[in-house]
Amino acid sequence: MKNLVAVGLIVAIACLFLGCLAQEKAEVQKSVKIYGSGASFPAPQIENWIHEFSKANPNIAVEYASKGSGAGINDFKQKLVHFACSDPPVKESEWRELQNIGKPIQFPVVVGAVVVVYSVPIEDLKLDGTTLARIFMGEVEYWDDETIRSLNPGVNLSHEKIWVVHRSDSSGTTEIFTSYLSLVSDEFGKKVGAGKLVDWPVDKLGRGLGGKGNEGVSAILRQTPYSIAYVELAYAIREKLRTARIMNADGYFVKADAETIGSAIAASSSLVPDPREGYREDVKMFLNAKGKDSYPIVAFSHVLLWESYPTKEEAEAIKTFWKWALTEGRKHMVEGYVPIPESVASIALKAIDGIRGG
Amino acid sequence: MYRRLKDDLFVLFAFASALLAILPIFHILFSVFYNGIPVLAKYGVEFLSGTLPPPNKAGGGVFPAIYGSLTMIVLSLMLGIPLGVFAGVFIAEYPSSSISKAARTVLVIILEFPTILVGLFVMAVMVIPMGRFSAIAGAFALTIVMLPYVATYTEQAIRSVPQHYKEVGFALGLNRFRIVFSITLRIAKKVFITGLLIGMAKVSGETAPLIFTAGNVWRSTGALNEPAGAIPLWIYYLVQQPYSNYHEIAWGAAVVLLAIFLVIFLSARLMVRS
Repeated sequence: MKNLVAVGLIVAIACLFLGCLAQEKAEVQKSVKIYGSGASFPAPQIENWIHEFSKANPNIAVEYASKGSGAGINDFKQKLVHFACSDPPVKESEWRELQNIGKPIQFPVVVGAVVVVYSVPIEDLKLDGTTLARIFMGEVEYWDDETIRSLNPGVNLSHEKIWVVHRSDSSGTTEIFTSYLSLVSDEFGKKVGAGKLVDWPVDKLGRGLGGKGNEGVSAILRQTPYSIAYVELAYAIREKLRTARIMNADGYFVKADAETIGSAIAASSSLVPDPREGYREDVKMFLNAKGKDSYPIVAFSHVLLWESYPTKEEAEAIKTFWKWALTEGRKHMVEGYVPIPESVASIALKAIDGIRGG
Repeated sequence: MYRRLKDDLFVLFAFASALLAILPIFHILFSVFYNGIPVLAKYGVEFLSGTLPPPNKAGGGVFPAIYGSLTMIVLSLMLGIPLGVFAGVFIAEYPSSSISKAARTVLVIILEFPTILVGLFVMAVMVIPMGRFSAIAGAFALTIVMLPYVATYTEQAIRSVPQHYKEVGFALGLNRFRIVFSITLRIAKKVFITGLLIGMAKVSGETAPLIFTAGNVWRSTGALNEPAGAIPLWIYYLVQQPYSNYHEIAWGAAVVLLAIFLVIFLSARLMVRS
C-alpha cells in the first residue's frame, strides 16, 4: 500500500517536471522583467497589450497584477513594482508623498465609460442626467413616471417599481458615476455627493440593492426584474446587458461606443495636465462633454511611472513597453476600451522619453 | 412501541445530519470536475505548459501558477519541517518548561490566526526590505501557516510512544537526540508523516498569505527572489474578470489544485490506515 502511494506521488511530481522541461524549451530567453500592479479596470486591456507586445519583444517580460488602484499606488510607493495603474488620477497629497521618494509621472493610457444598464423589457430606453439623478436618489418610484414617459414617447412602460442596483464596495466606477450625477444635478451633489463609496438615499426607501464589483451588480440586475444599475462599458458588452441612451450636453441621446467616447475626450483633451504634474487632472473635466456625438460619462485610466529607475535595462524596458502601448498598442484594443487621443498620447510619449536608468 | 419510534427518529435524524454535512463536499467536488474537466479536455496538454492568454482568445494554460505553487510548497516544506519538528520535539520532551508552554500557546494562536495578516506581516518584514514580491516571501508566509500543524502532529507522535521504548534507549546509553529521531519518531512515523502531509495540503490551497507576498505572474517563471504565481491566486484573480476564457481557465486550475490536494490528502489517509 505504502509503495503504491510513493509511486503515485513520484508519477505526479514527474509529470509536473516534464511540464517544466517542455516549458523551458518553448520559452525564449527573457532578459528583463518589469512588474506592475493596480486597477482592475484596465487589466484586460493591459493583458492584451502584453500578449501582443511580447510577440515583438521576446526579451522583455511584463507582468501585471490587478489588485485595485489603492494597492497599486501603495506597491509603487514602496518601489515593489515598476509601474502602477490607477483609475482616478492620484490626489495631490499622495503625489507629494511620491515626490518625497522620487520623480513620479502620470498620464492616461486608456479610456473607459460607465453605462446605465436596465432589466426592463424595452429595447431602447432614453434618459437624461436629471432624471437619472432622481432615479438613483429614489425620487422617481415607478417606471411609468411622467419624467421617464416624456423622454420615451410611444414606449409601453408598465407600472412597476424601480429597483436601483449600486456598488457596495469602494469603486472608481461609483466615483465617476456620482461625479457625473453631481455635475448634472445640484440636488444630487448636495444630498449624496461624489465619491468611491456614497450613502445611497434609495437604500433607505427599501428599493436600493448593493452588489460587490461589476459582476455582483450585473448578477443582481439579472435576477431582479425592473431594476437599473451602472457598470463599466466593457462589462456590459461582455454580459450583453441592455444599455440606456443618455442625453449629452448638446441634448442628443447617445449610446457609449468607441466613436461617442472618442468624441467626448477629443473636446477636452487639451485640459490634460503635464505628466510631471499629474495630480492637477480633474475627473470632472471629461464628464458631460460638449459635442453632438459625445457620450457624457467617460473617464481616463492612468499609469504611474518613475522618471528614473535603478538600472538602464529596467528603464529601457519600461520605455519600450509604454511607448509601444501608446503607439502600436492602439491597434490592439479590447472591445469596450478606447485608446487615448493622439494629442494626449504625444504629451505622454514626450514624458516617457525623459525616463532614465542607472 | 413509543420507545422504538423515538429510537428510529434519532437514528434518522443522525443519518440526515451526517448526509447534510457531507453533501457540500460532494457538491464542491462535483462542480469543480463538472466545470473543469471539459476545460482540461478542450485545452489539452497546453493547459499544463502554457501561459495566460489575452481576454477572449483561445488556448493558453496555467504553467506559471503550477510552477509557482510547487516551488513555494517545496520551499515552505524545507523551512517548515525542521522548524516545526524541532518545536514539536521540544514541546513533547520538555513539557513543563515555561518556553514550551509559551510555544504551545503561540502555536495554537497561529493555527487560528487570519492568514491574510500573516501575509501582511511577511510583507512588512521581507517584501519591503527586499524591494520586491518574491517566491521566497510567499514560501515564508506559507511556512508560518504550516508550522502549527507540523509541530502539533510531531508532539502527538512522540507522546503516543510508550515510555518503555525511551527507557530502552537510555539503558543503551543513547542521547536524547538519538532517542527522539532513531526510536520515538520511527515508531510513530505514521502520525508524524500525516502531520507533514496535512500541513502541505493546507498550504497548497492557501490564497490569502500570498496576496501581499508572492506578487503574481501570468507569463513568466523566475528565480526564488522574483514574483511568483500560484494556482489559488490565479483562480481568485481570474474569476473577477468578465471574460469567459478566464473563467474557463479558473475552473481548469481548480481541477489541478484539487488534484494536487487530493493526492497529498489521500496519501496521508492511506498512510494512517496501512
